[in-house]
Amino acid sequence: MTDVTADAMPARRQGSGLLRLLLSNEFGLAVLIAVAFGTFALTLPGFTSPFSLFTIGRQIGIDTMIGLAMMAVIVTGGLDLSVGAIGVCAAMVFGWLAQAMGVPLPIAVPMAILFGASLGFINGYAVVRSGVHSFIITLASMSIFFGIMIFLTKAQAFNQLPPEVTQFGKTRLFGMVSVLLVITLVVCVALSIFYRFTTLGRQMLAAGANPRAAELSGIRTGRVITACHMLTGALAALAGLMLTARTGAAVPSMAGHLGQDWLLPAFLAPVLGGTLLSGGRVSVIGTLLGAAFVTIMTSGLLLMRVGEFWILACLGLILLAAVLTDRLRQGVLRKRGLI
Amino acid sequence: MTALKVSNVSKSFPGVKALDAVSMTLTGGSVHALLGENGAGKSTLIKIMTGIHAADQGEITMEGRPVRFANPRQAAAGGLGVVHQERNLVTRFSVAENIMLDRLGANSLSRVDYKALAAEASRWLKQLDLDIDPMTPVSRLSVAQMQLVEIGKALSLQSRVLLLDEPTASLTPSEAQVLFRILRKLRDDGVAIGFVSHKLEEVFDICDTVTVLRDGKNACDSQPLKTLNRDDVVKMMIGRAERISRRAPRPQPAAPPFFELRDYSSAAGHENVSLSVRPGEILGLYGLVGAGRSELAKAVLGLARQTGGEIRVGGKPVKIGSVAEALDLGVGYVSEDRKGEGLILLHSVLDNAGITVWKSLANALGFLRDGTVAQKVGPVLRKLEVKTPSLDQTIGNLSGGNQQKVSVAKWIAAGVKLLIIDEPSVGIDIKTKAYLHDLIHELAEAGTAVLLITSDLTEMVDVADRVAVMDDYRIEGLVENDRNYERVSTAIMALIHGREAA
Repeated sequence: MTDVTADAMPARRQGSGLLRLLLSNEFGLAVLIAVAFGTFALTLPGFTSPFSLFTIGRQIGIDTMIGLAMMAVIVTGGLDLSVGAIGVCAAMVFGWLAQAMGVPLPIAVPMAILFGASLGFINGYAVVRSGVHSFIITLASMSIFFGIMIFLTKAQAFNQLPPEVTQFGKTRLFGMVSVLLVITLVVCVALSIFYRFTTLGRQMLAAGANPRAAELSGIRTGRVITACHMLTGALAALAGLMLTARTGAAVPSMAGHLGQDWLLPAFLAPVLGGTLLSGGRVSVIGTLLGAAFVTIMTSGLLLMRVGEFWILACLGLILLAAVLTDRLRQGVLRKRGLI
Repeated sequence: MTALKVSNVSKSFPGVKALDAVSMTLTGGSVHALLGENGAGKSTLIKIMTGIHAADQGEITMEGRPVRFANPRQAAAGGLGVVHQERNLVTRFSVAENIMLDRLGANSLSRVDYKALAAEASRWLKQLDLDIDPMTPVSRLSVAQMQLVEIGKALSLQSRVLLLDEPTASLTPSEAQVLFRILRKLRDDGVAIGFVSHKLEEVFDICDTVTVLRDGKNACDSQPLKTLNRDDVVKMMIGRAERISRRAPRPQPAAPPFFELRDYSSAAGHENVSLSVRPGEILGLYGLVGAGRSELAKAVLGLARQTGGEIRVGGKPVKIGSVAEALDLGVGYVSEDRKGEGLILLHSVLDNAGITVWKSLANALGFLRDGTVAQKVGPVLRKLEVKTPSLDQTIGNLSGGNQQKVSVAKWIAAGVKLLIIDEPSVGIDIKTKAYLHDLIHELAEAGTAVLLITSDLTEMVDVADRVAVMDDYRIEGLVENDRNYERVSTAIMALIHGREAA
């Protein structure tokens, strides 16, 4: 804080900064990650091999991006069930542009992201205009987006993409760092700056925490909430493109039927990371750490030859625990008169 | 015979001591008035008696036995019925279902006997002289009828103690007389009745004893009303005899109005509202609960469609579609519902105070730093003496008074030329209240036009230059404020009740 306030109001946070850090969600997650990673590294041979680290990092990159997409709309106290559908639709648009139309990649990539944002706009517009909860709207749009995509692509994949796409997905820095993870880290930094240092980012948080108060303070809440959905769409599209780079093809089924394979990581990462489900508070770093925890757990358990269905059940339990923690957190906030 | 006795009850909320060793005794067969200004603690006391809040200290006894209800349901079962200020009806349900809501069947799975339900409900409706079919959905009733249904609901519980929190606020005088006839009948049957009202005429009309609260303390405890006159009661309520304002009437500024409504009508229900506020003037907007004052402020800010007339800002006709547009025109609004509509409790003091200036402070790309906001907002917060450990402090942790200062500060920081302030002193302590009054005057002296909405008459007389009186979504007239409380309050009441008497 600047010196303007220094005399009358010291710019220190209340209580000990160290204590707050130790009690924070991010710190708790970091400890969990360290424990899980350490255990697997010591007990599972090959867990820390450069290739293993590369694949884990790549998965963290993609799952974090999916989580960030959901986080951007959880900010409003809503959700977007269509993230997976949007991600796949954008990936298919990219495949069509790059393969069938021969559009150069530097143009095809931003166009696919814009396409994702415009699908998000449709969600946001419908939510704001109708006043219906985003759960219902995006449940409908998930099926609509996915259905139209299957109709137009006849469920055929684009697997003759320019070789640069696959090449990009395989790129390693320092022998073990996936370039996809680097993209995600850049987006994390950008989003952190966005929520903290831009008018729109602050308005999103305000409109999410208390839409009525935000509206009465001169924020155009409708537009801001629409913008949140557009950001979700753009980030989901980016996640879809990253998945395409990893697979080397744009495949209609790459996020499962209706894109629902994405839903678990989409909610797990932000909720584990301390983003408040009722809106108004985000943690970009928390989402990154949440995705990292989930990916490391999954990879380790897979290496231990635990069945995939057990892992899914385990992830479901973790989500439940995270949601209960969220309720607890809201209870504490309410008790202290903050909501 | 003592029906309900409250002894030395105290209750604190974060930052506010709402009740401080309050006592009150309700006797069977008498009507007891509970009086006090807004924020004196009346509603808190009722909520403690009925188990919505738990008392920090003190004791409540019913017919000699100590009771401590955990919730209103227990209170009802214990013979304590209450009609709250806010309506608690299920509007989609019928009148009968609402009256019998907690006794629809013997158990959760037993069949509901609608015939018996209607018969039982119509018994109570008849008592209330309410000629409606018990199967009518509540949503089709008028506000007054809903109020009477609530009373019917409380009566049907066969309560030995009945508490009524401002039951007449939304009733016409003739409807109120019906209510009083019923209350007298209940009183003669031996029920102890607690009656909260702002209208002293009613109190002297129907009550036998009185308890007055002031700033959460007893100004008097269960005195017979016969021994008191109106002035005595007012004196106890406000803590002084004659209401002599500290402020002399201010000379009216000669400038043309900054803000003007001409025959303004809105989808919210306002009809042909005309009023104007000059720069430097404080125009009061007075009316009883439900008169449409806050609704007017919100409609003008674009939250309800304009259906007729004209809004003029700075002499030019304008259309306002949202608060954002109003802010661009230099109009700001301090909501009466600080926690629900005014502030974002989860966010910091800085973010709450800066929310109105983000857009103007950001650079071309929409970036801004906390430091920039603090530079703009800090001096205002310091001038208003907002007490906070830091600008990063979550605003939900501050006291009500400091929260209120921030909700005013954000508009000052935005440099608005018209500030609409809705019930500025609800739930804040006396000292901050006086401070806010001074602040409103200072703002006006500096040339800001102020529209003050309050249902606190003393506040109105103390602060406003002129008072526009609203009733039933219309302006009934205008009263010049010469700071003579008796004259101004009489004139205002005459305007409100004049139309109904005619």
